[in-house]
Formats: sequence, structure tokens, C-alpha cells
Amino acid sequence: MHSWGRVAPVTTQVDTPAWADRIHPAPGPVLAYGLGRSYGDSCLLGEGRMIETRFLDRILDFDPASGLLRAEAGISLDAILRFCVPRGWFLPTTPGTRQVTLGGAIANDVHGKNHHRAGCFGNHTPRFELLRSDGSRQVVGEGDPRHAATIGGLGLTGIITWAELQLVPIRSAMLDVELVRFRGLDEFLELSRDSEEFWEHTVAWIDCAASGRDLGRGIFIRGNWSAHGELAPHKPPGASVPVDFPDFALNRFTIGAFNTLYYRRFFGRTNSLQQHYAPFFHPLDSIQGWSRIYGKRGFYQYQVVTPAEAGAEPMREMLRLISESGQGSFLAVLKTFGDKPSPGMLSFPSPGITLALDFANQGNATLALFDRLDEAARAGDARFYPAKDSRMSRADFERSYPRLDEFRSHVDPGMTSDFWKRMNR
Amino acid sequence: MSDPTPYRAAVFGATSAIATETLRALVAERPAELLLVGRNPERLETLAADLRARGAECEVHATDLLNPDAPWASILSGGDWDLFLIAHGSLPDQQATLDDPHATGREIDVNLISPVRIAATCARILEKQQRGTLAVFGSVAGDRGRQSNYLYGATKAALETFLAGLRHRFAEHPEVKITLLKPGLTDTPMTADIEKGPLFSPASKVGADAWSAVRKGKSTAYLPGWWRYVMFVIRHLPDFVLHKTKL
Ligand SMILES: Cc1cc2nc3c(=O)[nH]c(=O)nc-3n(C[C@H](O)[C@H](O)[C@H](O)COP(=O)(O)OP(=O)(O)OC[C@H]3O[C@@H](n4cnc5c(N)ncnc54)[C@H](O)[C@@H]3O)c2cc1C
Ligand SMILES: NC(=O)c1ccc[n+]([C@@H]2O[C@H](COP(=O)([O-])OP(=O)(O)OC[C@H]3O[C@@H](n4cnc5c(N)ncnc54)[C@H](OP(=O)(O)O)[C@@H]3O)[C@@H](O)[C@H]2O)c1
Repeated sequence: MHSWGRVAPVTTQVDTPAWADRIHPAPGPVLAYGLGRSYGDSCLLGEGRMIETRFLDRILDFDPASGLLRAEAGISLDAILRFCVPRGWFLPTTPGTRQVTLGGAIANDVHGKNHHRAGCFGNHTPRFELLRSDGSRQVVGEGDPRHAATIGGLGLTGIITWAELQLVPIRSAMLDVELVRFRGLDEFLELSRDSEEFWEHTVAWIDCAASGRDLGRGIFIRGNWSAHGELAPHKPPGASVPVDFPDFALNRFTIGAFNTLYYRRFFGRTNSLQQHYAPFFHPLDSIQGWSRIYGKRGFYQYQVVTPAEAGAEPMREMLRLISESGQGSFLAVLKTFGDKPSPGMLSFPSPGITLALDFANQGNATLALFDRLDEAARAGDARFYPAKDSRMSRADFERSYPRLDEFRSHVDPGMTSDFWKRMNR
Repeated sequence: MSDPTPYRAAVFGATSAIATETLRALVAERPAELLLVGRNPERLETLAADLRARGAECEVHATDLLNPDAPWASILSGGDWDLFLIAHGSLPDQQATLDDPHATGREIDVNLISPVRIAATCARILEKQQRGTLAVFGSVAGDRGRQSNYLYGATKAALETFLAGLRHRFAEHPEVKITLLKPGLTDTPMTADIEKGPLFSPASKVGADAWSAVRKGKSTAYLPGWWRYVMFVIRHLPDFVLHKTKL
């Protein structure tokens, strides 16, 4: 088994129950596993049993009047969209890939481009059922501390067997999108502020190979649901990356060239277009197995959020370090989080700016860069994201999550993960 | 939703992952009334909830599919059927099964005897109706005996021969279709313990292709279609070549 970063695969016992009556949470230790779209070790358990949920994919109830969906936790957001889009409904918020499960989206309390409006995924999951290692099943709802512990709870509070998800109405599967080029972080922050009121979805791609005067340049992407267009769901993926790319395929020249081309992909300062939700929200899903372009050694993700009060400075410093290192990435994404309170005790989003990047695993050079980034992040009082992490320190984790002690009392004694072990060593 | 009259189907082994996806594809396309038959009532209800949410009307019937005295005729009475779909099957460890004569018998029962009994009942109803489809899941494994799964393969090959005979019998009735559905390696609970390689297809793809074959009234359909070519090659490999492989 491996996570999406493919850095440290584990060999372990895996159960793949296809029915709720086949989920055996004991004997432990066990850990639920969705579609493995987390990057690090939070979805892995090397010594123990992993319970893969992807066959638990049934819709249990849907109210076409209110848009409330109840489904088994292994259903993917991909499958939910194929179901709900033709009926005029959409996910309340979606991460950058559809290939995650309902349970996984709750356990990492994922966020999307509409965070400043909608908050996190867990803001829209009014109730779910938890199967604990003692065999008990508990339906927990908003207001219950076990609900707050499980949202963003990294699979440690029990196995979510089913969950309710409040969908949102759409009139078309298309979005009206505007791309705006910006030259630096200050412009980015200005665009973010100006866009919050009239744009439901905002995100920015950043050219992290740029340096000097160009540091922090990028493209701001904002979109609103269109009033016109069909309610057509996405198509199944076509091309796939069947083999691992050789290690030399990605280097600072290919990355630099890609970034410059991407930055220059339209003339003028802004560009408007109508786009289907699939390329807008899930640009990489059309290429199956794309993480293989990073080769056998895999890659790391790095994501932090810096507090709003700190302004652009900490981000600027981190971007400078990255550009200086020459280890840029294709996927450098910047977004401001809004101040809607996150529902989970360990939810990652908090008001401020978040930066997410991926780096090919180049061994020590990559790790050295991370150490420098960590220092800058700490100085800026940033918080780290377990879903994207394989190496944060226990101290950083504890500093990032002030409600950790409250959370601990809800951890199921029969559940753990390689991440959790690392954080308690 | 072009056709307003609901499509009526009875499905045996309805809880199978491929059958589930076949039904989801059907239900996405047209109104349907489904009778879901299988051995486990809770699972059948869970499946029914899924298909109801997708717009189908469902009834479930839990029974022992292997019971020769099961009252199939009365279970299926009182209706005009568009489709009978037989999907149950099992693929346990071959050596352990062959080492136990009772287990060997049970496997042949699940994969061959029970589907044949049910198909015979369905054929009688189709004969009376003079229309409708009987579709049964065979497997590419039935195309050639190979060391890895020849017990399972033998049952599927026998099922194929049986259906070919039925098709012959109904040759005079163009409104009656006998469809053999032959999935290749499919990522379902049945193959959970087999390491996934590039030849595996998702159940959603196989199910969608199965529904499309049924809708078109095909006689035999490889699922997905490219398995026809793979199996053509495997069928034509000389023994001395096949015997050098681990297939
Ligand atoms: C291309 C790409 C883009 C992404 N973009 C974003 C983004 O924009 N925003 C964002 O927030 N994240 C993003 N992610 C991360 C991803 O959304 C999360 O890691 C998500 O949680 C993965 O879900 P999964 O179903 O694959 O779960 P896994 O990765 O398999 O597991 C994640 C966690 O959920 C737990 N879990 C899974 N199922 C259950 C269950 N039934 N009950 C209890 N616990 C369970 C696991 O134990 C584990 O702790 C992205 C990932 C990729 C690959
Ligand atoms: N998966 C593949 O790679 C593949 C390839 C070629 C052909 N096929 C064929 O396609 C069909 C569907 O397979 P699948 O992959 O969807 O399988 P699956 O998800 O594992 O489902 C198997 C089905 O068979 C039922 N079943 C098994 N043993 C039974 C018994 N003793 N009595 C009654 N019912 C029993 C199961 O009922 P419960 O839910 O109650 O257990 C379930 O409905 C099968 O005929 C299979 O042989 C599959």
C-alpha cells in the first residue's frame, strides 16, 4: 500500500469489506483507508490492519428537495458528482481531486476553492456513524464533541461507516472563470480581497521558479457557477500514466520552462472563459496516475497556512527559499482562507494564506529545503497539514493544533496510523 | 428518460459489484422496476436504497440461490419481464477447494448448477412471453483451461455451452435474446486478494459495458471489448507456449 506521494510504501494486512456487516474494527490496531489521496503517512499503518473502504460506495438516501445525501463512507466524490450533477446539485466544497472518499474528505476536513464562502467539508456533514473498535456504532451529529473530533480526526476516532452530506444547487455544470495575472504577493492579496465578495471560487497558481523582481508572480483564478449550460457530469478519465517516469524527466529546466509557459499562456492581464467544473476544480484527474511523473522515488507535498495578521511576509520568505533552491514544482497553489470557523478539533484551515506545493523527492536536497521552509514557517507562526505531510515534527504538530489535548480523549484505543505514531514518539 | 414504460428486470446475485454497476447504468438511462434476488437481506436492502435514490423502483427477495426447491416460478410470476440477469459467482482458492470434495461440489453449484437451474426457469418464462432477455455472467476464464483457475474456468465454459444451446433453441424467436457477458479481470470484492495490474478494469466500466451489451441484444460480449483480442491470442497459443507461462 502507498499514499499519493509514493515516498514510503508499506506492506501490511489489508481488508476490503464490501458491506457494512463486513467491517471488523477489531482486533486492532486498525486504520481506515479511502483512496490513498493523502500524500504522507496519515493514511498508512505499517504494522496492523488497514481497512480499505472503496467498495462501500452506496447511496443510502437522497432527498431531491433539500439536497441532503446519505451515503456509505467509501463512495468517491467522483461517484457523488456523477450522481448529483445531472440532478442539479454539487458538492458543498471540493478538494483538487474527485478521487477521494466521503470518509477521507471528512477525516482530513478537506477544503476547496470556495473556503472563504463555504468553510470546510466538515461544515456540511451534519451527521455520520462511527464504528468503534469495541464494536459499538454511534450516530454523531453537529454539537457532539465526537463529531468535532472526527472531522479532521485523521481516522483515529473510529471508522465512519456512512455520512450525510448537504449538497448545494447548481443550474449548470459550467463556471464563468476569470484569470488575472499578478506580479507579486501584494497584488495577490489585493486580488483576493477584491474577489471575495463577488467570486465564489478563488485560487492562485504561483510561478515558484521565478525569482528577483518576478518573485511571487502568478495567475489568479476566480469563478462563479454559470446560469447557463447543461447539467452534464464529467467523463471518465482517458489517458493514464502507466509507468513511473525516469528520474531525469523532471529537473529545474523542465520545471522552469513549464512555469514560464504557464504564466504566459494568455495575452493581456485578464482572460475570461467558460469552463466545465472538471478542469476547473480537478485539473489533474483527467490523467490517471499522474503522480508517476515523479518517478519511483515519489514526491512530497508541502502545505502550510500562515495567519492573516502576518500578511504576506512569511509567504514571501518561503517563496524566496524555494526559488533560491531551484527545486520548484508544477503545482504551486496559493489561496486565502476565510474566517468561517472550522468544525473539527484538528481541522487545518484557519484564516490566512495557504501555500501548497509538490516537490520531486531528490533526497537530501529536498529535505534540506524543507528544513529551511519549516524554519520560515515557524517564524511566521504557520500551521502544517497532516494530509500532505510525511515529516513534520511532533513539536510543530502540537504547536499547529491547540485543541490536540481535547482531541486525544476521543481517539479510539484500537486505531492508529504511522503518522500518529510518529507524533507520539 | 425517453422511454416512459419502466424496464422490468429480475437480478440474481444482485449484490455482486458488477451487477450493481450494470443496474446503475440501466437506472441512469431509463425508469426501471427491479427485483433484486440474493442470499443476504440486509445487503439487498442497502443495494435497493442505492438504486432507489437513483430513481428505480426496487423489491428485494432474499433466498438461498442454491436451493433446488426454491420456488422461482412463483417468485417471478405475475409480470412481463424485460430482463433476467444472473450474476452470482465465486472464485475461492483453487487448490484448497480441490482438496476438499465437498467444497469442490459447492463451487460447481454456485458457478454452474444454480445459474443453470435459474436460467431454465427464466427460459420457460421467456418462451411464454415470446420476448425478453436472459443475460448471464460467464468469464474470460471459460475460454481456455489454465493452471491458475481451471475449476472456475470449467464452470464458466459449461455455462457458455448451456447458453449457446438456449440461444439455438430460441433462434426462431427474434424477440428473445440470450446474452453471455464475459468480464475480464475486474476490480471487485471477488478479486480483492489478487494484485492489481494494468489488465484490471473498474467495475463501473464493466457494468456500463454489460448494460450496453444487454440493451443492444448482443449474443456474447467481452467486457470491456478488448478482452476479445486478448482471449483470441490466449486461445490460439500452442500448448507448449501456454505451458511455459503462469497464466
Ligand atoms: C491532486 C490532489 C489534490 C488535492 N487537493 C486538495 C485540496 O485542494 N484540499 C484539501 O484539503 N486536500 C487536497 N488533497 C488531499 C486529499 O483531499 C485528502 O488527503 C483526502 O483526505 C484524501 O481522501 P482519501 O479518501 O483518499 O483518504 P485517504 O488518503 O485514504 O485517508 C485519509 C485519512 O482519512 C481516514 N479515513 C478514510 N476513510 C475513513 C473512514 N471511512 N472513516 C474514518 N477515517 C477514514 C484515513 O485513516 C486517513 O487518516 C489533494 C490530494 C490530491 C492527490
Ligand atoms: N471480478 C472479476 O474479475 C470477474 C471476471 C470474470 C467474471 N466475473 C463474474 O461476474 C459475476 C459477478 O462477479 P463480481 O466480481 O461482481 O463478484 P462479487 O462482487 O464478489 O459478487 C459475487 C456475488 O455472488 C454471490 N454469491 C457468492 N457465493 C454465493 C452463494 N454461495 N450463494 C449465493 N450467492 C452467492 C454474492 O452474494 P453476497 O453478496 O450475498 O455474498 C454476490 O452477489 C460473477 O459471475 C463472476 O464469476 C467476475
